[in-house]
Amino acid sequence: MFSQINPRARGLLAALALLLLILPWIANNYVLSVAVLILYFAYTGQAWNVMMGFCGQLSLGHSLYVGIGGYSAAALFVHFGIGPWGGALVAVAASMLVGAIIGFLAFRFGIGGVYFALLTIAFAEFTRLGFDHWQWLGASGGFFLPVKQREFNDLLNLRGSPVMFYYVMLALATAALAFCTWLLRTRIGYYWLAIREDQQAAQALGINTFRCKMIAVLISSGMTSLAGVFFAFYYNNLFPEQIFNMGRSIEIILGPIIGGIGTLFGPILGAALLALLADGITELMAQIGIELPGIKQVFYGSCLLLVTMFLPNGVWPALARRLGLVSAPGPDPAGNTVRHPDG
Amino acid sequence: MNTIEKTSLATLDVGVSDATEGGADAGRRRFVGAVGAAAIVSSSSLMRPAWAQSAKLKVGVLLPRSGVQAFVGQSCQFGADVAPAVLKSLFGVDIELMNADTETNVDTARSRAERLISEGAQVLVGAFDSGASLAIAQVAEQKGVPFVINIAAAPQITEQGYKFTFRNFPTSVDLVVNGLGLARDLFLATGTAPRTAVFMHVNDTFGQANKAAIASILPKLDYLPFKLLDTIAYDPAAKDLTVEVARAKATKADFLLLVCRLNDAIILRREMVKQRWNPMGIIGPGNPGMYEAQFYAALGKLSDHCISNVPWYDPKSVVTKAIDAQMRKQFPKEKLMYHALNVGFTFESIQIVADAFKRSRSNDPKVLAEAIRQTNIASRMMLGGPIKFNAKGQVEGIASACIQNFNQRPMVVLPAASAEAKPVFPVPGYVRA
Repeated sequence: MFSQINPRARGLLAALALLLLILPWIANNYVLSVAVLILYFAYTGQAWNVMMGFCGQLSLGHSLYVGIGGYSAAALFVHFGIGPWGGALVAVAASMLVGAIIGFLAFRFGIGGVYFALLTIAFAEFTRLGFDHWQWLGASGGFFLPVKQREFNDLLNLRGSPVMFYYVMLALATAALAFCTWLLRTRIGYYWLAIREDQQAAQALGINTFRCKMIAVLISSGMTSLAGVFFAFYYNNLFPEQIFNMGRSIEIILGPIIGGIGTLFGPILGAALLALLADGITELMAQIGIELPGIKQVFYGSCLLLVTMFLPNGVWPALARRLGLVSAPGPDPAGNTVRHPDG
Repeated sequence: MNTIEKTSLATLDVGVSDATEGGADAGRRRFVGAVGAAAIVSSSSLMRPAWAQSAKLKVGVLLPRSGVQAFVGQSCQFGADVAPAVLKSLFGVDIELMNADTETNVDTARSRAERLISEGAQVLVGAFDSGASLAIAQVAEQKGVPFVINIAAAPQITEQGYKFTFRNFPTSVDLVVNGLGLARDLFLATGTAPRTAVFMHVNDTFGQANKAAIASILPKLDYLPFKLLDTIAYDPAAKDLTVEVARAKATKADFLLLVCRLNDAIILRREMVKQRWNPMGIIGPGNPGMYEAQFYAALGKLSDHCISNVPWYDPKSVVTKAIDAQMRKQFPKEKLMYHALNVGFTFESIQIVADAFKRSRSNDPKVLAEAIRQTNIASRMMLGGPIKFNAKGQVEGIASACIQNFNQRPMVVLPAASAEAKPVFPVPGYVRA
């Protein structure tokens, strides 16, 4: 899977994997809760990246799938006693169905670019309004999962300690990374890249762009809904105004944008950078005795501005190049030098 | 590997590495070393042991001081900020505040709670919002640290079987029961008997909880003379309420029963003026919005005579006077009456933990939790009986006051024992529909 990465990068990756595996033994619960958040946004960023980074379809309403996933699994758990893993299947199916409707409407009728983004926002927004009135799911009063004091971790029902949730999120993020790496090496992965770079050219080459884009939307929405399932069982309460909020969608896409859209490690690095630096700046302010509510949001905005201005491809490509983590593509078998897109 | 594979991997996973040179390598090593050192330094502060003994009680205060609820969170913060001085002077208890901003975000609320505990907070208070409070409650339960909720009305919070979570705020059901009870007192005091009302509510967590409470309670209250002609929900983010107000006006109801928040209350009141709808009055059965500083600032005289039946401070209480004085000292530009509920309940939540600290003479979280369970505080700021918690950790006996706006300020008009003015109902300018 990582055969294209050089030994140094492989070493660093192994060290990171080891650190993540032993983190619960060396870190307190606060660090663990931040790590869960980083992994959560790394995962959702990876899912969003499939649609935007790989296939070039900008979605600004991914909170829709988080919400549908969370509500589906939570409702099945509360009303029918179906565990989260069974609920996850329904959640993924429901999200994919909604994704398919959005995708069909957009791609069938040639809605693209910013108009597609608006469509995704619109769907997220009217779904929020719908859930605000859906009494069976608590409407805007919120939907609550039962909470009990537990002495043991019940992985089957996702009830347990923060350490258990940490490992679940770590497994999800790792699986997403592996899945996306694999996707990019498949035929559909190359088709996506072709569509992202030039849809008309891809069509001219005989690629069924409608089908490829639909697959991207389905995969992305399905993956994102799993994050919703996690969210529901981690926080044990769901409010439409929170989970479907446009702000949540922005939070999802910030990681990949900062880290590097279309890269595999960009969403992970972006999520980590944002969480650690934002927390760091809050801590720094506290240490020097300045209380500035909202400094994190200002910081997020500034980061976005700086990255857009100075690192338009994100932090990860530049960092990896600087640290020599990925080998240069050499000449292809025919002897032609492969040109790097930055160059 | 074929060409396209190499291209894609280069594109996606970073691509080209420069030819390495000795100098570049050394620089890179320095960079990695610096990052490593920084990580070690920062992690040592993050991973320090949880508890540290202290003569003071370390109180973690979690409030939404930024984000959508920033205005209310900052208002609550005044109550926390004056608490150390007031508690020291009135009760001789030393506390140290550890403030954290939840950013109106459940993720942040949870991680900030974890952080405060890891930094030595022995009790937590907050967090204004039900979702954030539930997220913090889970952390508090896992760590065995008492958490006293200042403001959050969702009944489910104290129905989860939590052992370390306490709430010094009425549930939405209690709020409505108290509010409707005061409506009866208002009608008795003014010798009126409106026959009809139209119910408008903001369609968010709080509004839905109030709607459910009213739907279940109102039919049972045979002492109230009015019936609801229509129920109209509107979006909390609505920028225009023309249609909703027109629909409400068309019911020709005697008065408007309104569950609102601040911004929508301003929009709605303006719209009523535009549409020349002058019912007997506007009565809020237990909601914020119509007694807040921005409501007066935005509406001026139009804010007058609106009625809110909400938990309120006793203007004659010793604690209230001390807090008012301390607020004027610490925040000369602020007035207690514009932050009444927020300051009152935030202060009281800290008073509760300080009282438990004083009685138990311990800052061990588990001992404190047990002491909080035994709370019985008579000398308090808010109206109602002594602060006592039931087995679920829910406070009992919080009373509401009927607050009416006069000359762009809120005044207690009921109960009579705490009244600062007489209630006016119907309001001047009332036009029978």
